Amino acid sequence: MTSLPCWMMMPILAAAETLPGMSAGAFSGDTIRFLVIGAILFALGMVGFLTRRNLILMMISAELMLHGVAINLTAFSQFYQNHDGQAFTIFVLTVAGCEAGLGLAIVLGLYQRKKSLDIREWTTLGEGPTPTISVEDLHQAEVLPVTQPRLTPAGLVPKLPADGGSVGSYAGAVSSGAPKS
Amino acid sequence: MLMEWLIAQSAFVLPLLVGGLAVAWLLPSRLPKPPIVGYALGIIAVALLYSGFIPAETSDLRNLLFTVFSLTAVLAATLTVTSGNPVYSALWFAVATLGVCGLFMLNSAPFLAAATVIVYAGAIIVTFAFVIMLAQQGGSAGYDRRAEHPILVTLFSMVMLGSLLFGLQETRRLATAGGSEAGSMRPAVLVTSAAGLGFDRAPNPFSVSQENDLGSLRGVGRSLFTDYLYASELAGTVLLIATIGAIAVAPRRSRGTL
Repeated sequence: MTSLPCWMMMPILAAAETLPGMSAGAFSGDTIRFLVIGAILFALGMVGFLTRRNLILMMISAELMLHGVAINLTAFSQFYQNHDGQAFTIFVLTVAGCEAGLGLAIVLGLYQRKKSLDIREWTTLGEGPTPTISVEDLHQAEVLPVTQPRLTPAGLVPKLPADGGSVGSYAGAVSSGAPKS
Repeated sequence: MLMEWLIAQSAFVLPLLVGGLAVAWLLPSRLPKPPIVGYALGIIAVALLYSGFIPAETSDLRNLLFTVFSLTAVLAATLTVTSGNPVYSALWFAVATLGVCGLFMLNSAPFLAAATVIVYAGAIIVTFAFVIMLAQQGGSAGYDRRAEHPILVTLFSMVMLGSLLFGLQETRRLATAGGSEAGSMRPAVLVTSAAGLGFDRAPNPFSVSQENDLGSLRGVGRSLFTDYLYASELAGTVLLIATIGAIAVAPRRSRGTL
């Protein structure tokens, strides 16, 4: 501690002296060990969020980070002996619930597109580059047989003449039914 | 100079090094790595941290409970992050949630502990497990068995954790040097004011002073619906909007399976 560079000590001392109501910024050891556990959970969640490639695992890691924050908030609440930290933890819980619901809906939508939970599938949000086609390619390309689309039947079946005639006879029947003048 | 300083700070630098090694070793990759080495390194790191950095308090039972719950939380969180199978990750996350709820109980927040168990283990984990079962019916996929930049990310995170722990250590050192006893659970200012008045000073000057009933459901409810009334209304609105948004964003069943 004696050989600590002064530029590293400055912000800590400044922060300690600006704490309200306390001369030397004193969290007790009992509070600090909870803060240590919260920091460890936060760092582990960060490792998971940045390394894992599964979308679900990334969300679980984010929830782990929220756990670390919640431990910190309850430790502060215990230290100051008021309920503010616990109220904040309830808000964190609310936001975590919202995040889980919305995130899982989005993950399901993403899974439906690519049939995979891999985050690497989504490194580019647009479509891939379209293939370039030159005129020579078009001349050399073999002509594929044209397949007509199969349309689904819709609407009412038109009334055909009883003798099972073709469309031409049907049109003739219609024209013959027209009033002659 | 830097090396001397690091050696002087070995109370948290050494556990950080060993723990970072353990996490980087346990993260899934293509290399054949026996996980037992990672487990051993992790246990050594936790033991170093507990012996050197986390101080022992006066109450033995509280120490024991803290050790049990924090060990549960930290080890289960490590296994959550490093497990190769996402189903195991979700289950380990449930275990970590239970440990965190134990820590909530130690911080005299029993209502929060119960609510967290209900919300996380009852709702969020089940939803995660459902999505994993729907989307990965063939077990762990290839992208689960290989982590992305494990060493670099672990280094980054350990640097961040080290800076946090360094700040906490300095705070504790200032606390012990500043005259207030380190073992006390409450700062001297609040202790004297509480002893003199019988009331705690609330942070909001407009809120009613009350007797200290930390952790009771009554106290939490009063804090929520007096000091944080607008915030809790906003939280309810956020929940409603998130529900509507999730229904709007979720894929329709008619366009395909799932």
